[in-house]
Amino acid sequence: MPWITKNSGTMQIDTREEAYLDEALKAEIEANIIPRYPDRRAAMLPTLHAVQHKVGWLPAQALKEIGEFLGTAPAEVMDTATFYEEYWLTPKGKYVIWVCQSISCELMDRESLMTKLKAKLSIEPGETTEDGKFTLMNVECLGSCGTAPCALVDEKLHENLSVDNVDAILDALE
Amino acid sequence: MPLQEPVLTKRIPTPPFGDFSQRKLISYEDFVATGGYVGLKKAIDMQPSDIIDTMKASELRGRGGAGFPAGVKWSFLPPQDGKPRYLAVNSDESEPGTFKDRMLLDFDPHILLEGIAICMRACQLDTTYIYIRGEYHHQAKVLNAAIDEAYANNIFGPNSIMGKINDREPRCFVHRGAGAYICGEETALLNSLEGKRGWPRIKPPFPAVAGAFGRPTIINNVETLAMCGPIIDRGVDWFKTMGVARPEGVPPHVPASYGPKLIGVSGHVNRPGVYEENLGITVREMIEKYCGGMRNGKKFKSAVPGGIAMGVLGTDQIDAPLDFDIGRNFGCLGLGTAGVIVMDEDTDMVAMARNVVRFFSHESCGQCTPCREGSNWVYKTLKRIEEGNGTTADLDLLLEVSGSQGAMPGTTICGLADGTNWAIKTFLNKFWDDFESRVKPSKIAGYSLPVLV
Ligand SMILES: Cc1cc2nc3c(=O)[nH]c(=O)nc-3n(C[C@H](O)[C@H](O)[C@H](O)COP(=O)(O)O)c2cc1C
Ligand code: SF4
Ligand code: FES
Repeated sequence: MPWITKNSGTMQIDTREEAYLDEALKAEIEANIIPRYPDRRAAMLPTLHAVQHKVGWLPAQALKEIGEFLGTAPAEVMDTATFYEEYWLTPKGKYVIWVCQSISCELMDRESLMTKLKAKLSIEPGETTEDGKFTLMNVECLGSCGTAPCALVDEKLHENLSVDNVDAILDALE
Repeated sequence: MPLQEPVLTKRIPTPPFGDFSQRKLISYEDFVATGGYVGLKKAIDMQPSDIIDTMKASELRGRGGAGFPAGVKWSFLPPQDGKPRYLAVNSDESEPGTFKDRMLLDFDPHILLEGIAICMRACQLDTTYIYIRGEYHHQAKVLNAAIDEAYANNIFGPNSIMGKINDREPRCFVHRGAGAYICGEETALLNSLEGKRGWPRIKPPFPAVAGAFGRPTIINNVETLAMCGPIIDRGVDWFKTMGVARPEGVPPHVPASYGPKLIGVSGHVNRPGVYEENLGITVREMIEKYCGGMRNGKKFKSAVPGGIAMGVLGTDQIDAPLDFDIGRNFGCLGLGTAGVIVMDEDTDMVAMARNVVRFFSHESCGQCTPCREGSNWVYKTLKRIEEGNGTTADLDLLLEVSGSQGAMPGTTICGLADGTNWAIKTFLNKFWDDFESRVKPSKIAGYSLPVLV
């Protein structure tokens, strides 16, 4: 829900010496992404994706660097990044499990799947396991309703899930 | 009459013409070997305006939800002025129950690329962005590989068989979204493409006049574009042998429901999946002929005709034909995406209504108060009813609040609020007993207000 505001007026951002958006990544985006669009700002989503892919999430410093790179205010980068569910503005687990909660998946009993996952990982949706390995998320329709219930584990879709076959998927990630 | 031969699923084995298990990715060579890009070659030999006239004559209606005639949309573009003009392909597919575009992208990406090229040629658009939802990781990879093949074979690029458009080489790119349903709304999609929040824009101006980067832009759904190659190749008369013609007495400017349609069926059926059939097939036929009947031999209770924004059909509406008139004839919003969600007799309609409204509440972009606040209140009220703490006053309140979202033109920027409104309204009206039996009588006297639309 993008309109929830946080009391962050006095917050200091963590910084580090080394850039998140480093020269190699900049050169790659400059060569392959920027020429696709008539202005630099349009490369925002691809750049956010690229930085997140490399870093795992989007630290505030990275948002500032992206702003400088694309010629927009850091606040505008923040504005865009906070709108989209796939961008992580806080660290997440090594693997993110996105379990669909929309209608076809609920009809096909995604509830028992979620109950099992919560028990197995000892976390609630939105939380990360203590060892930093798994983050569990509820997500709306993944566009694979015919093979409900389904879940995305990072970039891989798992279909026709059940309490019986979900263990194997998690165990393969150990 | 059922579909005589597969069109969009020509290369994607689908019952009754083929078997799901035989599906595989179609390469550029496979595509060309089976008659692919013939439509484009014919389009190149035509004047752009003749292509648009052909599309208009075919009366192909948009497959992305709103059903607007594609040829008519294409004719709204202003004359060329030498500056860039864009095609934005809507591949956001996030409406629950909808998974048809995914199938085309998974197995036959070139059928989309051919449609894109035809549209670029007809409308004189030089650059295409395929806006694909972020969660379609695999599909984005398949598309990128297919685009590389298309460049290598001079569909796009400096030596394109289309020549130069607006004095530019025709180009085609994938632009990945990042998890926001609202980016499927065409103007939200444009903002997202420009690197902003996916906030729908107030119309007018319409995208055909001022769209992406302030320039004329056509936005079409994946399936709409995929249909263009076959139409140009085989002609309008062939296309119009399929689907539902205009009923007698209806004036010719009212578009009919011609052509085949991808119909994705999910929920309580034995064999869910994406099938292709002529528009006009009934929900019952889909369930019985294609999906192997209801799961566990249960009875049919309800179905969503095409993505949850359309609302639900009642138990007695199982024979509703899936065409663009389903809204008018069966008291729902419309055909939508023809993503049919089937619910059996044991389904808890209160829980399903809660699920649907949670979706809209979660996905509201937050710009308009009736949508942002209204959907959240409806969600809370439904949760209360589901948990057994609702009263009859809550039911009145539900109808009042949901009925005032999007129903009054001009109170919200985009159609998401309409979807919320129709979903709730039809759940309540068609399954009133299911709701009433879950609430206690209200002690508030005379609360009930009429719902004025
Ligand atoms: C809230 C909302 C969500 C939408 N989502 C999609 C979508 O995911 N895919 C799509 O093709 N059209 C979607 N649409 C419809 C588009 O706005 C637009 O009408 C369509 O892409 C036009 O293409 P077509 O004429 O080829 O159908 C959505 C509309 C609204 C109001
Ligand atoms: S109707 Fe809802 S989703 Fe559409 S612009 Fe308004 S708040 Fe956003
Ligand atoms: S409802 Fe779960 S994938 Fe569509």
